[in-house]
Amino acid sequence: MTENIVQYSPRGRARAIKGFLRQFLSHGGAQVGLVCLVFFLIVATMPNMLVGPLQTAINATGDFLVPPSGQHLLGTDEVGRDVLNLVVHGARISLTIALLATVISLVVGTTVGMTSGYFGGWVDTWLMRITDFFFVMPSFVLALVITPVVLEVMGRGGDILGFRPSLFVIIVVIGMTSWSFVARIVRSQTLSLKERTFIDRARVVGSSNFGIMVRHILPNLVPQIAANGALVVAGAIYIETSLSFLGLGDPLQPSWGTLLSLAQRAGAASAGAWWYLGAPGVCALTVSLSFVLIGNALDDTFNPRRRAIP
Amino acid sequence: MTNSFQNKAPLLEVDRLSVDYGLKGNSLRAIDGVSFVLRAGEAVALVGESGSGKTTTAMAIAGLLSPNARVSEGVVRYRGERLPIDDDAAMRPHRWSETSVVFQGAMNALNPVHRIVKQIAEPCMLKLGMSRAEATARAKELLELVGIPADRGAAYPHELSGGMRQRVMIAMALACRPSIIIGDEPTTALDVITQAQILKLLGELRSQLNLALILITHDLSVVAECCDRVMIMYSGRIVEDGTVAEIFADPKHPYTKLLIDSIPNPANGKKMIRPIPGDPPNLVNRPSGCAFHPRCPSAMAVCTTEVPSLDKFGQGRVACHLHQSLQNKVTVHA
Amino acid sequence: MRDTADILRLENLQVHFPIQGGLFDRVLGRPSGAVRAVDGIDLTIGRGEIVALVGESGSGKTTVGRVITKLAQPTGGNLLFDGRDMSSERGASPLRPYRRRVQMIFQDAYQALNPRHTVFDIVAEPLRSLRLVENDAQLTERVSEALTGAGLNPPGDFFARFPHELSGGQRQRVVIAGALAVKPELIVADEPVSMLDVSIRAQILQVLVDLRDKHNMALLFITHDLPLAWLIADRIAVLYLGKLVEIGSADDITYNPRHPYTVALLNATPQIGGDADRGKLPALQGEVPSAARVPKGCRFHPRCPLAFDRCRQEEPPANEVGPRHMSACWLAK
Repeated sequence: MTENIVQYSPRGRARAIKGFLRQFLSHGGAQVGLVCLVFFLIVATMPNMLVGPLQTAINATGDFLVPPSGQHLLGTDEVGRDVLNLVVHGARISLTIALLATVISLVVGTTVGMTSGYFGGWVDTWLMRITDFFFVMPSFVLALVITPVVLEVMGRGGDILGFRPSLFVIIVVIGMTSWSFVARIVRSQTLSLKERTFIDRARVVGSSNFGIMVRHILPNLVPQIAANGALVVAGAIYIETSLSFLGLGDPLQPSWGTLLSLAQRAGAASAGAWWYLGAPGVCALTVSLSFVLIGNALDDTFNPRRRAIP
Repeated sequence: MTNSFQNKAPLLEVDRLSVDYGLKGNSLRAIDGVSFVLRAGEAVALVGESGSGKTTTAMAIAGLLSPNARVSEGVVRYRGERLPIDDDAAMRPHRWSETSVVFQGAMNALNPVHRIVKQIAEPCMLKLGMSRAEATARAKELLELVGIPADRGAAYPHELSGGMRQRVMIAMALACRPSIIIGDEPTTALDVITQAQILKLLGELRSQLNLALILITHDLSVVAECCDRVMIMYSGRIVEDGTVAEIFADPKHPYTKLLIDSIPNPANGKKMIRPIPGDPPNLVNRPSGCAFHPRCPSAMAVCTTEVPSLDKFGQGRVACHLHQSLQNKVTVHA
Repeated sequence: MRDTADILRLENLQVHFPIQGGLFDRVLGRPSGAVRAVDGIDLTIGRGEIVALVGESGSGKTTVGRVITKLAQPTGGNLLFDGRDMSSERGASPLRPYRRRVQMIFQDAYQALNPRHTVFDIVAEPLRSLRLVENDAQLTERVSEALTGAGLNPPGDFFARFPHELSGGQRQRVVIAGALAVKPELIVADEPVSMLDVSIRAQILQVLVDLRDKHNMALLFITHDLPLAWLIADRIAVLYLGKLVEIGSADDITYNPRHPYTVALLNATPQIGGDADRGKLPALQGEVPSAARVPKGCRFHPRCPLAFDRCRQEEPPANEVGPRHMSACWLAK
């Protein structure tokens, strides 16, 4: 009998998840977003298999600024590197930065927002003042402040988890500037959740504050976190692109933003080398857009009455 | 009292009314062949549990069905004239001036940013073509009528108590001088003492303005206080119809009997709990035959297959195979 | 000596919520008021006794239930459970022994159940968090037992269901099963049937009465419905604006009410065919005043048809008007 029962519980959950997926996948926006995203994820996971190792000025295969042709599908840059090669490798770097930054921002934002909303009082007041501080902090200024610190700590040539210092700075900066958005949403949702009767019931049946937050509030926040998380990724790609474009990227690990910056500096716009500027630009745009579509689809699926995203 | 309305001409006739709700392609029958007659000044209660179709019936009569509902059969006649209940635009002139509705949640039905006198004056201006001054005067008159001092008209809805808001709702319903008021659980959210006040007010208005009242409720004891006739609904059909005195003294349908027994009644001194087994049916899987048969203590074989017709029985009507067979026996012996 | 007859004793229990004045008021040092939700209540519940707490909305009846279940903190008076003062205990782990003995049933079962938890998890939650089971087999056994006790048969069929897959009556049974799983000595039931269909109410009441009959659980039944209280309770306590106006046996309160408010409540309650005693008093006017502005003297005097001078000046004490029958009215002697 016991075995029977142990199997029951996950079955109920599996059914709920299946129902959710069916609804989510029937959403037009979600389909478009997912197709684009899966394409870029595949590209990002195996750049070496698709286009060979990252080209540098030394192993460049083409002429300078050649327009797209059979040999170089997306043309070449000012030192003769294949743009397709650069963009594919850039996908890996851009997506990794965006996803890692999003994880940081979701973890910090959810923890702060939930703690703040659940406990209220002075905890809420102080945490929200800190949140406000990060909310108004410009990412570029923060990056300028942090870069020397990080360089000091890890040395110019070193790397953390395979990231060179400037990329690490970008991840930290995006994480630090975007969690406050998540924290505000999570807090407001927590404020309304904690008034629900099932929280009272959880208290009466002896659950601790930590247990209530983890088992009762967090699962009910998942829709909000997921829907907004997708938007945070889109935002992270955008910030990453702009920070790199402003020169904070690392030429040895070029993201799409770095490529745009290089193209700009090489005078691609005035030279009419549209492929050099266009390829990374379109990629960044498409990925951001697909995350936004997925975020909206998640929001629609989780709550059919379509609450406007704050 | 039992027969005082029988002789009057019918004000409202509901004839074999059926309403379907469209739900992802397949439709669900919410009410199934509901027929009854309402006479001027009469107070009729539609009693049933959630999903019994009582609200759908009332909303259909008022022409306020939700967009996914469809009148699939039947007609509603007002003073002998067919009402275009499924045509929103054609229904507009009839709404509020012939039938008007007092809803349950007064707080949701009132606009929080307007003073109440303005909200009552609005339909007077739109429907009766009154000037603003005339409409305001009329609104104040209506407030006095429902027992709110006219100077309270300057208040906003949130400044009023629940009972006062319900009074405002009644004043709004009366604005265009309707002859039928439909009360959709008008006192459910109120405390007993406030409920008694509102029911008393409805009774007074009824005799004062010769209003007919359709009271939708799940609470049989409320019906005992303020209605002439009761119709018990179960799973989209009327199962019993009779005068209040008759139904409470001698209920015919087993469901009615059990419902009455499940209301604690200190007056008869019997402290006993007699649960009705099972759950109310939902629209998706309505039981075959008589919808009550799975919960009925006196169900017979025929109940599982055939829908009992709502036949005349004494003063009222009852839809139960048990009573049809009893009646047949009586006629055979006679 | 501790009194072993009573499981719960409330002594002059008070819950006042302070009204936060605006910044100006605070700067000018104006005194800020308080909402006197519960304003000095004395009530006992015996072991295995069903006591109904009857009142209108705003009477403070829900707050009393929340204080007993430690969801709200009293601002004055004592809450004695089994002779021990629990009024200042707080925090999940210090309250664990208390929670094993006192549980609650909520009005709106749909709201009281986490929509993302299965029935098994919901009923298992108290057993896990109150450390009442040692292993999974025991957990499953206790959950099955509780679901059966609440009338959900066979229990295995319900384990994997989510609250939205249940009917209203089944949901309330799940809430009851959650409270029952703990095997408490006292259950606070806050309007447990008011959201349910009429035909389901009797089923749920039957389950509650069975709890007392089979397990000798005491029950505080909070309701606004006097006939319902009469049906289920041994004793009824009538609450008006944060204070008890009358306490007595269910029959005494129903057939021999000694406070004008109780009489008014009974008169206002719609009844089938029971109008013999109507018309003794005129119907009440107006509504319950705000608990932030409690009237001076007897708090019922502004609405009382029998009020006289003394009622406007002095608050009446609880007078004994019969065996275990108290009425807080100057006229009840």
